[in-house]
Amino acid sequence: MRETVEISLQVNERAQSLRIEPRETLADVLRDRLGLTGTKVSCDAQVCGACTVLVDGRTVSACTFLAVDADGGAVRTVEGLARDGVLTPLQQAFIDEAAFQCGFCTPGMLMAATALLEENPHPTEDEVKEGLDGNLCRCTGYAPIVAAVLRAAEAGR
Amino acid sequence: MKRVIERGPAPEPIGISVPRRDGIEKVTGAASFTTDLTLPGLAHARLLRSPYAHARIRSIDAEAARRHPGVIAVVTAADLPGVQLEYGHAVADHPLIATGKVRFAGEVVVGVVAEDAATADEALRLIEVDYDPLPYATTVEEALAPGAPVLHEKAGRQGAHRGFEEDITRDHPNVCSTFRQAWGEIEDAFTGAHLVLEGTWHYPMCYAFAMEPYTSVAEWKDGELTVWSSAQHPYMVRDDLAHVFHLPLSAVRVIVPYVGGGYGSKSYTKIEPLTAALALKAGRPVRLALNVDDAILTTRGDGATVQLRSAFDRDGRLLGRQATVRLDSGAYAENSPLVGRKAANRLGGPYRIPALEVTCQVVYTNTAPASSFRGFGAPQVVFAAESQMDEAAEALGLDPLEIRRRNLVERGERPWPKVRGLDAKLADDLALAAAELDWSTPPAPGVGRAVCVSASDAGSEPVTTATLRVHPDGSVTVLCGSTEIGQGSATALAQIAAGEMGVPLEKVRLVQSDTAAVTYDRSTGASRTTTLMGLAIRNAARDVKAQLLEWARESWAGEDAPEPVLEHAGIRVGDRLAGWGEVVRAWFAGDYGEAIGRGYLRKAGETAEMPPFWEVGCVGVEVRVDESTGEIHVEKLVTIGDVGCAVNPQLAEAQDVGAAIMGLGMAMREELIYEDGNLVNGNLYDYRVPRFTDLPELRTVLVERGDGVGVYGAKGGGEGALNPVASAIANAVRRATGARLREAPFTPERVWEALRERDAANGR
Amino acid sequence: MIPRFAHRRPRSLADAFAAFDAAGGDCAWYAGGTELLAVMKMGFAQFGTLIDLKSVPELGGISADADGALRIGATVTHREIERSPHVLRHLPGLAALEREVANIRVRNTGTLGGNLAFAEPHSDPATFLLACDARVELAGPAGAREMAIDELIVGPLTTSREADELLVAIRVPAPAAGEGRAYAKLAFFERPAASVGVRVRVVDGAIADATVAVGSLTDLPIVLPAAGAALAGLPAEPAALDAGLGAAIAVLGEIDAIPDHNGSADYKRHLAGILLGRAVTQAVEEARAHA
Repeated sequence: MRETVEISLQVNERAQSLRIEPRETLADVLRDRLGLTGTKVSCDAQVCGACTVLVDGRTVSACTFLAVDADGGAVRTVEGLARDGVLTPLQQAFIDEAAFQCGFCTPGMLMAATALLEENPHPTEDEVKEGLDGNLCRCTGYAPIVAAVLRAAEAGR
Repeated sequence: MKRVIERGPAPEPIGISVPRRDGIEKVTGAASFTTDLTLPGLAHARLLRSPYAHARIRSIDAEAARRHPGVIAVVTAADLPGVQLEYGHAVADHPLIATGKVRFAGEVVVGVVAEDAATADEALRLIEVDYDPLPYATTVEEALAPGAPVLHEKAGRQGAHRGFEEDITRDHPNVCSTFRQAWGEIEDAFTGAHLVLEGTWHYPMCYAFAMEPYTSVAEWKDGELTVWSSAQHPYMVRDDLAHVFHLPLSAVRVIVPYVGGGYGSKSYTKIEPLTAALALKAGRPVRLALNVDDAILTTRGDGATVQLRSAFDRDGRLLGRQATVRLDSGAYAENSPLVGRKAANRLGGPYRIPALEVTCQVVYTNTAPASSFRGFGAPQVVFAAESQMDEAAEALGLDPLEIRRRNLVERGERPWPKVRGLDAKLADDLALAAAELDWSTPPAPGVGRAVCVSASDAGSEPVTTATLRVHPDGSVTVLCGSTEIGQGSATALAQIAAGEMGVPLEKVRLVQSDTAAVTYDRSTGASRTTTLMGLAIRNAARDVKAQLLEWARESWAGEDAPEPVLEHAGIRVGDRLAGWGEVVRAWFAGDYGEAIGRGYLRKAGETAEMPPFWEVGCVGVEVRVDESTGEIHVEKLVTIGDVGCAVNPQLAEAQDVGAAIMGLGMAMREELIYEDGNLVNGNLYDYRVPRFTDLPELRTVLVERGDGVGVYGAKGGGEGALNPVASAIANAVRRATGARLREAPFTPERVWEALRERDAANGR
Repeated sequence: MIPRFAHRRPRSLADAFAAFDAAGGDCAWYAGGTELLAVMKMGFAQFGTLIDLKSVPELGGISADADGALRIGATVTHREIERSPHVLRHLPGLAALEREVANIRVRNTGTLGGNLAFAEPHSDPATFLLACDARVELAGPAGAREMAIDELIVGPLTTSREADELLVAIRVPAPAAGEGRAYAKLAFFERPAASVGVRVRVVDGAIADATVAVGSLTDLPIVLPAAGAALAGLPAEPAALDAGLGAAIAVLGEIDAIPDHNGSADYKRHLAGILLGRAVTQAVEEARAHA
């Protein structure tokens, strides 16, 4: 028995209707069905944050979030940040501060930081660390990421 | 970031923090990793792993799995006749899939290829394996005990890499290799000593947690093999694949897209032979993507026990050092014999030691195989060595800085016979770190500080090539085998090419990591890329410039023509500077053609002496200890990035910070734990890596004294700042509380126990 | 990989029970999925049908009565609780605790009901709510019932909930006059090493009565009546409290703690003692505010 369901959702402001199996995660659907491979899966256990995307403005672990639960919702991924080739201040700050190395955590990190700044546009350094504590990076030692988020916040003033 | 610059000028953009060239791709999600690759007809593989630490495989019943709809192939060792199953770097002892027995819980026994991964998963559950469990040894002590279960009944064949023949001993059937490093009269050193200190230190098995787990895609076409993989060393993987499948090197193509972190854990061959074998049986391109839980079972860092004895005179000068190091290499040798050599070498380290004798044994245990991991033997031994230096200072009433100053080798002095002289002023680095910690001001009660140093014989072997193509418009393409694993090679190497050719960075394109398209590089590891590939690119630039000068002579020869003169960014012909492109166009007599520069690097000339460079480490910490719980709070972390010439200062700093925080994780929390033959914390819930809120106040000083072998005095970074972290924290805790930590990681319970031991010793 | 299943999304409690019935018992209630999907992915559980409760209106929402008694719907997420004005006002210790649960993504999707129903031995909310004398409302095809947290959680990963029953809401009583409730934990790895929830009632400058619950030491959160009794009579002053905690800490020292990656039984008991001090101090502070 292989049940499928129809879901309709907005992904990066584009309407998508898909027939999927209920067991498919949002990461599966984004990566394999929609070709949005920017979202990465690492720990596959909701710990590392590499697969962080926004569903209706909330961060979720796409690796363990059923795509059926995004039905009717609005999903934002790293591919939806820049518009017409113009980077967001946060993306630019990541480049300016070298806030990534291998880049595998970066899409999730950017989405988590985007949500953080949308909720708290001018965080303190400690608020950045607390807010992003659930996103792991193994390369940078975090300091450049903190600097980048603070820089983006400053740019938004 | 502070910078200390005592080197000559370098041509721009060398020495400038230009933005990373992979930046836009990586912040927009466009960067493509192996895991993002799709191919027409791509099939998906999943693996069945052994639940037993040590067992004979009596039989495998995979019929139901083979019949499961959507399954394309089910592969066991028996299905691979004609394939050379065992491969390995030092010893070819690692079968790509279990042959007859399993040697650790998690070893791959069956591979299933199906139309999709979920179907392959379902098929795995239909496979019955009948095991005959054997006694196992998951610790070095168990493996070396009398009557211990033997992992490898027969000695492994010589591995892909020569040079280990003497190390591969069988004095105990579970000893994989033994390396002895010795010089001077060790007995005399201890006989005449004023102070002899002895202790045993334990360093845990660690997991690198590269965020991209191992992933490979293999495709066979007309008997030729193409593999895309998250590998640091594409050429070494190529060599192993050629061996496993009896192919000429030219029939194997290994392509490495962006790699999601390596830290040594993606050095050498991992899942590529298995993926290729699965693709061979499936008759389809196959993708094998591990998850983190699988990756932990694929490679880890060597755990170590270090018994260290040192002799000092009354002034705190080292007279001799004697050590026995045992590395827990796991079920297969992988690269541990080399880690063992390096561990032994790195106990000599930055000090002048008249007599030394180190024996390092690499021991097989029924655990996941250990191999390269950032620091490569150094974190394990530096923890012991630098802890003991502080113990000596304390015993002799010396400042910990002073005892180090009295023993450090000078720049140019050989740490031991027949090696390259140290290419760093470590005493000056030490002073910089001390200044950042405000060393002369006493810390508050309950706060402790420490500074530790290390020196690693780094760079691996200087065997590297590069190709530099000059196009008719003057733009440049560089072909090189170095991998972009996040360290920034794509940026720094392009900067070197631009600087050497005198062309704007925008006109340089770097092509990396495709064994069919770029020329040979031994490896991307041992902190070697900027230094050694940098030299190969410089050599390629020199080579192409020499050709272009010749071409200019040929093109513009004439009775009264001025002699062309080579300049930095072109060729001067009379009062006119001809750009490189113009020379190409003139020689080909049209707007086409190109000049090809060849850059070779080998153990000769400036890179004749080994190691090619020393990678020094200098780290300071300030800690506060909560004595009620045993929690250590690392409040300040200082790193001195002594890199000779920072080709890209921002990226050099980033390497130092990243390495130091990884060292912090290993010192504080990281440890793989085996119970009853099984890894019990083999997932990211239980294996805790550093997080944002663990971040101390960081200070980095980049030191550029131009003393490395690389371009403008560059030498490697990226590991040095990791190596002394555990010892620095342990020494600072000692100074804060009086408790001595000899087992990493310093979990709160271990600190609490050490505090209770202190109290017991003080009669409290 | 999550094994295949069918998905149902009832819009009312009655529909939910009907879906359960239709699935013939081979099904699981599902809300945030942060625990359930994880164990399914690991291959520890497989169900023919998942019944998604997020669209059942009876299970949502946070309300407070005039006295400050809270009713938290079972499908309310951790994140909603940590930001709820009702919770912040009447039970700030719960909001603070929720802010520390896992990570923000888990808190955005994981629910309080799911956390309690999963009965993970390290559950922070279960330990604290136990100290707060909270009760849970359950509903099933046979009707509704109500029980205390320690009647619900009866073992590691085990509850007294019938398979066809589901958690509807969690009720936390209003603080009595002079009452304070606080929670303290230490976590060195993903799961806490030890945690202590405390309720105290302060009358005339001294602790009149108290409840102490301890989590992560044993395989389910426990209330230690003797520890609560040992706190009674202590003056509600920081210095006097520190000096007088010995008897209560001694009770914690008798817990048959289970060693884990955080440390030995001894060490975990030691941590519980430290945490008791922290939680009592905080609870007394809050009690003063409610005096």
